[in-house]
Amino acid sequence: MGKLVLADSIQLSKVGKALRRTFELWGYGEVVLPTIEPYEETLRGGTKFAYNNQFYLIKPDVTSRLLRNYDIDFGKLYYIGEVLDGGVDGRWQAGVEFIGGETTFMTAEVLSVLMTALESLGIEEFYIDLGSLEVWRRATEGIEDFRETICRALERRNFGLIEKLPLDEEKKEEMWRLFNFRGRETDYGKLARILELVDDERIFVDLGTVRPLPYYRDVIFEVYSPKLGKPIGGGGEYSFRGRPAVGFALDLRALLGLAKVREKGSRRFLRGIGSFREARKLVSMGVPVEVER
Amino acid sequence: MRFVLPKGRLLRGSLEILRKAGYNIDKPGERKLIGRFNGNEVLLARAFDVPVYVEHGVDVGIAGSDVLEERGSDVFVPLELPFGKCRLSLAMPAESVVPLEDMDGYRIATKYERIARSYFSKLGVEVEIIKLSGSVELAPKVGVADAIVDIVETGETLRANGLVEVEKIMDVSAQLLVNRISQKTKFDEINTLILAIKEVVGDGT
Repeated sequence: MGKLVLADSIQLSKVGKALRRTFELWGYGEVVLPTIEPYEETLRGGTKFAYNNQFYLIKPDVTSRLLRNYDIDFGKLYYIGEVLDGGVDGRWQAGVEFIGGETTFMTAEVLSVLMTALESLGIEEFYIDLGSLEVWRRATEGIEDFRETICRALERRNFGLIEKLPLDEEKKEEMWRLFNFRGRETDYGKLARILELVDDERIFVDLGTVRPLPYYRDVIFEVYSPKLGKPIGGGGEYSFRGRPAVGFALDLRALLGLAKVREKGSRRFLRGIGSFREARKLVSMGVPVEVER
Repeated sequence: MRFVLPKGRLLRGSLEILRKAGYNIDKPGERKLIGRFNGNEVLLARAFDVPVYVEHGVDVGIAGSDVLEERGSDVFVPLELPFGKCRLSLAMPAESVVPLEDMDGYRIATKYERIARSYFSKLGVEVEIIKLSGSVELAPKVGVADAIVDIVETGETLRANGLVEVEKIMDVSAQLLVNRISQKTKFDEINTLILAIKEVVGDGT
């Protein structure tokens, strides 16, 4: 994210701390990854460099690193860190991955983790839109040759691209309905079940939701706040070495502008002889202190 | 809603198509950059900045596809608009035209640094890109560059400066841009606007 001024750096750390606490409360364990990975085509992003006739990547995308580095049947992981994408300016991300459970259940849990993570930052006004790749796969059965154009139409939200295709009017009408579907009631059982499990009025089904990453399998989601012009983050369902997995990543820069992180408990100010002894005692009990000169 | 419209060659067409769609926006005064109509706000910005404004929170904008490509902004593009048609091309001095593969080491003057870089990189030709903000046609004349990448409408400006169009890089047209979040939070308003403009445009593309 470029150079951080000191105030941003401190705020970033506070946001990270609040998120870390929430992820841990849900039972997720932190993954700490090295800065540099040997280059491999399966790793996405990162900034490439050569050293001793070998190619390496600095801070590539975390999910693709987890997929390459670990072989686990079941796990709940989280990370907070910077990722690079070919240049020198990094993006700070926080994300979780739930691996090896039942997909609908994992999605409901991960969405709940996401919601409480935002709430822990004082962000209450946000929405999550759910989309489904499977709905579009079914709708494009028999017209597979046009999937690429339809996908492009969704990414740009340009229905004109679909209108130009040699499809019958009934098909185009079906596409138009899907393209513009946004609500809380859906015929697609999996999404309906997720809505039911999560049970929160901030979640919608928006079948026009798309995520640009290639590894998603079906359910995808995007989280956003009306106060910010860009998504705060998103995620979805993918395959972790053949096992179902669901994860999300949050853009910490976006969160910095929205977060209202408050210190828990009031700070005790101490002064004079014995104040350091007293401060040590308070800190060991978890009380914030400041020793004044 | 908040609109951002481009100052310059696309402004007239933008106001015209919005008016036909029922959004009667008066052209803000010469120095006034923000206007209002029916509770909506209209900003005037440099054409190159329109996609950036839309990406970062302005609901709707109109910009050329060249500018959007150059900025690489993450926005929705629901409609192509039937004005601002031109092309982005590579041009060279008439007396020193060479095949593209012989352009290694050439200096290319352009406002479109990102597009030019990606174009030559795909060709596998190493060039030096010189970023200029305007009057790019002058660069070969004064020896600052060997070729240019710029917008061509009629070709008149190129000819007047002794340049010839060698290769078209992309077709350009005005486009309606929508902020990704506004599309969700102002779903009905934005869809009404898109459908109204689509009606004016005809086949929608």
